[in-house]
Amino acid sequence: MNLDAWLSPEVSLDQCIKCNICVSYCPVAEVTDLFPGPKYAGPQAQRFRMAEQPTPDLSVDYCSGCRVCNEVCPNDVSIMEMNAKARAALVAEKGIPLRNRLLGRNELLGKVGSYAPHLANFALHNPISRIAADALFGIAKEAPLPRWSTTGTFVDWWEKHYPHRRISDKKVVYFHGCATMYYEPFIGVAAVLVLEHMGYELIVPPQNCCGLPLLSNGEFKAAGKLYDNNLRKLGPLATEGYDIVGTSTSCTLTLKEEAPHLLGRHDETAEALTHAVWDIFEWIREHEDELPRDFVSIEMVIPYHPPCQYRAHRVGRPAMDVLELIPGVEVHESRARCCGIAGTYGYKKEKYDIAMKVGEELFSFILAEEEHHHTEYNACDSETCRWQIEHGAGQDSRHPIEILAAAYGLYDLETRTAKTA
Amino acid sequence: MRRLETEILVIGGGATGAGVVWDAALRGFDAILVERRDLCHGTSGRFHGLLHSGGRYVVKDPVSAAECIHENRILRKTHAHCIEDTGGFFVVTPEDEDSDYPERFRQGCADTGVPCEEIPAALALKQEPRLNPRISRVFRVPDASIDGFQMVHSTVQAAREAGARIFTYHEVIDLLMRGGEGDRRVTGVRVRDAARDEEVEIHAAMVINAAGAWAGKIAAMAGIRVEIVPGKGIMMATAHRLVHTVINRCKWPSDGDILVPAHTVSIIGTTDTPVADPEDLRIEDWEIRKMLEEGEKLVPGFMRTRMLRVWAGVRPLYKETAVTDDRDISRKFALLDHQERDGVAGFITITGGKLTTFRLMAEKTVDRAAAYLGERKPCATAETPVPGARHGYYWLGHRLREVEDGRLQSQLICECELVTRGMLENAARHNPTIGLDDLRRDVRLGMGPCQGGFCTYRAVGVIHELKQGHAVTPAAVDSDWRAAEFQSPAVQPPSRAHAAEEAGYPDDLFNPNLLLRDFLQERWKGVMPILWGQQLKQEQLDRLIYLDIMNADHLPDAGLRSPLTDFYHMEVRGDASGEEPHD
Amino acid sequence: MTELLVIGAGLTGLMAAIAAARQGARTRIIATGMGSLLWTPGTIGVLGYLPGEDEPVQSPFDALDALRQRRPRHPFALLDAQTLRQSLDAFRELVQSLGLPYRGAEDGRNLLLPSPVGAPRPVFLAPAGQVDGHMGRPEPYLIVGFQALRDFYPTLIAENLTKLGLKARAEFLPIDLITRRRDFSPIDLARELDAADLSRLTNALKRVAKPGERIGLPAILGLKRHAAILATLREALDAPIFEIPTLPPSAPGMRLAEALRAHFELDLRGRMDLGLRAIDFRAENGKVAWVSTRASARPVRHWAQRFLLATGGILGGGIVGDPTGQVEEVIFHLPLNDAPQDRKQWFHRDFMGPTGHRIFLGGVRVNEAFQPVDAEGGVAYENLWAAGGLLADSDPIAERSLEGVAIATAFRAVQRMSEVTP
Repeated sequence: MNLDAWLSPEVSLDQCIKCNICVSYCPVAEVTDLFPGPKYAGPQAQRFRMAEQPTPDLSVDYCSGCRVCNEVCPNDVSIMEMNAKARAALVAEKGIPLRNRLLGRNELLGKVGSYAPHLANFALHNPISRIAADALFGIAKEAPLPRWSTTGTFVDWWEKHYPHRRISDKKVVYFHGCATMYYEPFIGVAAVLVLEHMGYELIVPPQNCCGLPLLSNGEFKAAGKLYDNNLRKLGPLATEGYDIVGTSTSCTLTLKEEAPHLLGRHDETAEALTHAVWDIFEWIREHEDELPRDFVSIEMVIPYHPPCQYRAHRVGRPAMDVLELIPGVEVHESRARCCGIAGTYGYKKEKYDIAMKVGEELFSFILAEEEHHHTEYNACDSETCRWQIEHGAGQDSRHPIEILAAAYGLYDLETRTAKTA
Repeated sequence: MRRLETEILVIGGGATGAGVVWDAALRGFDAILVERRDLCHGTSGRFHGLLHSGGRYVVKDPVSAAECIHENRILRKTHAHCIEDTGGFFVVTPEDEDSDYPERFRQGCADTGVPCEEIPAALALKQEPRLNPRISRVFRVPDASIDGFQMVHSTVQAAREAGARIFTYHEVIDLLMRGGEGDRRVTGVRVRDAARDEEVEIHAAMVINAAGAWAGKIAAMAGIRVEIVPGKGIMMATAHRLVHTVINRCKWPSDGDILVPAHTVSIIGTTDTPVADPEDLRIEDWEIRKMLEEGEKLVPGFMRTRMLRVWAGVRPLYKETAVTDDRDISRKFALLDHQERDGVAGFITITGGKLTTFRLMAEKTVDRAAAYLGERKPCATAETPVPGARHGYYWLGHRLREVEDGRLQSQLICECELVTRGMLENAARHNPTIGLDDLRRDVRLGMGPCQGGFCTYRAVGVIHELKQGHAVTPAAVDSDWRAAEFQSPAVQPPSRAHAAEEAGYPDDLFNPNLLLRDFLQERWKGVMPILWGQQLKQEQLDRLIYLDIMNADHLPDAGLRSPLTDFYHMEVRGDASGEEPHD
Repeated sequence: MTELLVIGAGLTGLMAAIAAARQGARTRIIATGMGSLLWTPGTIGVLGYLPGEDEPVQSPFDALDALRQRRPRHPFALLDAQTLRQSLDAFRELVQSLGLPYRGAEDGRNLLLPSPVGAPRPVFLAPAGQVDGHMGRPEPYLIVGFQALRDFYPTLIAENLTKLGLKARAEFLPIDLITRRRDFSPIDLARELDAADLSRLTNALKRVAKPGERIGLPAILGLKRHAAILATLREALDAPIFEIPTLPPSAPGMRLAEALRAHFELDLRGRMDLGLRAIDFRAENGKVAWVSTRASARPVRHWAQRFLLATGGILGGGIVGDPTGQVEEVIFHLPLNDAPQDRKQWFHRDFMGPTGHRIFLGGVRVNEAFQPVDAEGGVAYENLWAAGGLLADSDPIAERSLEGVAIATAFRAVQRMSEVTP
């Protein structure tokens, strides 16, 4: 039988018993009439869709992809994936707007800007550019776009670090992703510090963008090229049995499952890659007995927000599990559903306000924590979430790996630099 | 007793009767149709949903095949909005490989004029990824999916607009006769108005018996023997559409060899078991197993997909001479002129046939009636699109598109099938209904995965408020009977209730507690035999709603019954399900 | 290492996890999704109808013997009346402390509350926001609905209440008193009221209410600010105000679920992870070592000292039936009671008949320690317990005992569990 046809998320619509639990928790339907809710847009509308006819419902475009629905559904309906495919079909019909093509080419933008980061930052972040981008491309002028690193890319740092890296029998591969590479190399630095402290030798092989922004915007062909390139570069390492850890929850999810599923790649190498990829805290938790306990004395309350991608990783909240091992660190989970940015959703002009309303419960939490516990930082594993939190709550956000590195005395949380010995 | 006069009285509100009254009205006859229950309650509401290309009959029954393709082309124009142009495949599965049937099939198509094109199996699989990948040959034919309810409603509306009168819930209890030996004549009918519980006499120059599987019983009222062998067949609906093309096994016709896309589901069918009584609609376990097995041959994985519902329909097979296998009784229709055949004037029976050829059957029937009554205008049905046809073919997404365009999300009463409050209120206003099941036939209420779990309550509430004057959809002066467009969320014009028909309906009939109980039981009847897996969990949620939350089994008016209450409680399985569970 | 892993996030799972965490055990909940609390009206049914009986049970505690006679292996037959009472008292204290008080009738009898069709629901405890609807109170009813709210029909409710011999009438108010949105569920409306200035609503209610009436509204009176909204309305109207449940999703159910969850996670430092479906387990030497859940790339293993299965029968998905008539508990494949393995025996022809359907009596058989046992009565796994709708020999939906079974069996299982040294 045609397994693909039966395994595709649309078929899971049969699991739905119309119970409305998903509708009760959807953060987008709660704040806008433009999105009729996950039950409607997913398993219900899916019965009325078919490949050879135009997509009947435009409202599915307002699904942010946060997966709260998947998480609360007691029936295993792959609501978000169903919506994602419907959105892709919509895109295929209407054609991909230039904005989405731009937002999809994260790596290209990153690379170009990295040659002249000051100029690039100025070009992007001045009011005129933002107004122009809003008017011409529909990129919301208020949305928190990243800044290029002005101290070099992650690979620049790694190449300098390479001669001094820890050598060990225990090795692990690091996948940095575009954000760490071009905008936040310090995240990668913190990761290297922690992994080396655990006694591992890092391998940072050639790699490219995981392709998620292209996948989200329906450009499967271009995403496929990127994925195949990664398969070439990382596949052999996976087959040899190396673990591949990443600090970006979206990149690791894409490599684990989103790319192979959406692109229909089921060969042996793709399977090997899937099984080799770990979110860094998922991996650290799995290797908990190798985690040194020589923490420096540290007292902090950390408000923590698990990013939406964890709902798809389905590994619980490993960053919390690990940070809770640090004496003196008290982790307060946000219990908020979504920061609103949802990948590139909150960058889009027509969705920016919705995204900010969705994120409101998280922003309020951060501000309340600041007031009651005088917190300085909050933590979140996803870069776009951190930028959104900083934008919406006005408090500095850190990756939990930075917190862990700081807890070992190896990293300065404020300057976001390695502490020289 | 009330008394009505007409020229042509048609008995039976299925496809045949609807076609006859339509044709008669268009030709200028004064016509009345009576139906014992709701339109399409009989076989026309229980069939496979298939508009035949004729391919199924090209080898076995070439005359039927030729009729089918001829009518198929006509209906695509006259009833476009009832039809989804799905196309059909005849497929050769591994089980059918060692047979010469495919070649005979191809030849048969050529001989009967059924368009048939062989396409590469790979192409068919690309179009329909869930088909059995081991299918070796595929022939494409112009099968289509047709909605029987929509078709009959639109036809009947066309008849109304041409002056016909339509009475549902009017059961024929006797034929009025006159004359003795040698010059007997049927002069009309006596019917019982089930809603008002009173009798009516209708006098007619010609009575046409289009009562389908019950035609024999009607004929018997005139002392005439018409042997109908009711052929019961079951059909099962999956919870969503597995394939979007009609799939037929390319072999000699038998059980479970057709899979039809019908609105949001796929329907597998069917079986063929002679039964004594046209009301015998029991579903047997072996039939369910057979459908699952046969479906699996067409769509691997079929046995594990969620099943939504199972029902039986009874074919009216007219037995002219002795045949060995009842399936071999011709699908041809039979026009019985009782004056010629039995010496009883003023009475014609039209029986047999298929839904696809209803218009042709009606044409022949009214031709014969006109031969007696005198010609008026010529038959116009082949060229006259019925109301609603202007919308063109049905497409799967149309309701969703209309709900989106009209921002009608909050109006949805049945969310599974996208039935808005406006659709429900207008259907209730314009179509004489005495139960939610009637509304179901109009707008597809309760036909989705939750099988009435949420919408039964809402529909009861909406109808209750409607009767009390709290309708949400405003009423205005127009009084178009827009049955042809009941199924369109966007096309729900403000309209006035049919005061004439509703006057005198006892309030009890719309007792909300009765409506609730009856519909819940009606839905259960069709779900129980296929209840397992996720549909079982669904039903448990539905039970939570109606027992724990609503306490609907402890409502007042427990003794009230509608004309259909017993029908919904009838035995649906030939086994011990009526017994008390042992604790 | 987790001391207790609870599988299932319904009322059973939450109550059990809270009880264990209160005793100081490191407790985690994993579940596929949220539980049936979101569907139920938030009331606590202990026993509403005896099997086969049409009349509602007057007092559940007085009917326990009759229940045990008819269903000798019912979960209530595995514990005594005192335990049942203790568990319900514990529940009442807990919800009171969480700001969601529940009350029962003074004399320990069932309350009769109006259902969304105006039928009398026999419940033992009701949230403060519903208690004033009790049919034993003398005040005439004013049922107020909102135009075009598709999940609530006041005229229907009032008509049926009248047929029961109660004085009742209905009124409609415009929905824009609560929201300008065009697309909303009862939960959305409750959230709007949380944020709203209530004066427009109270003024409109004052215009339609008559002195001496009690006012029934659909269950949309806030989620986070429910108590404050109730108080505001009661004060402004100077009349009893109560909620009537709607079709799911249930705001009162959600309030209870979220209050219990917050208490578990924030006050008791418990961890609850949704979206984790248990697919496999490993047992060593008669003890469960871990349960694994489906995840991206590789299943996640959850080790614990003890495991409590609260996956909820057919309604919760803990038990499934297949077309061949096989009925199975999906995680541990525990032996079930004599649920008929022949599908023809599963159901009765009448959907709402008093005899119910045999399939729904199927479930996991447990001993008095609430440990699953096999046919010979031997414990399946030393460190595995089971509670709630999953258990055999009860049909909680028909009995109207859903919440009582959940609360009592969760309570007792944790009690018995703590008597055993790990």
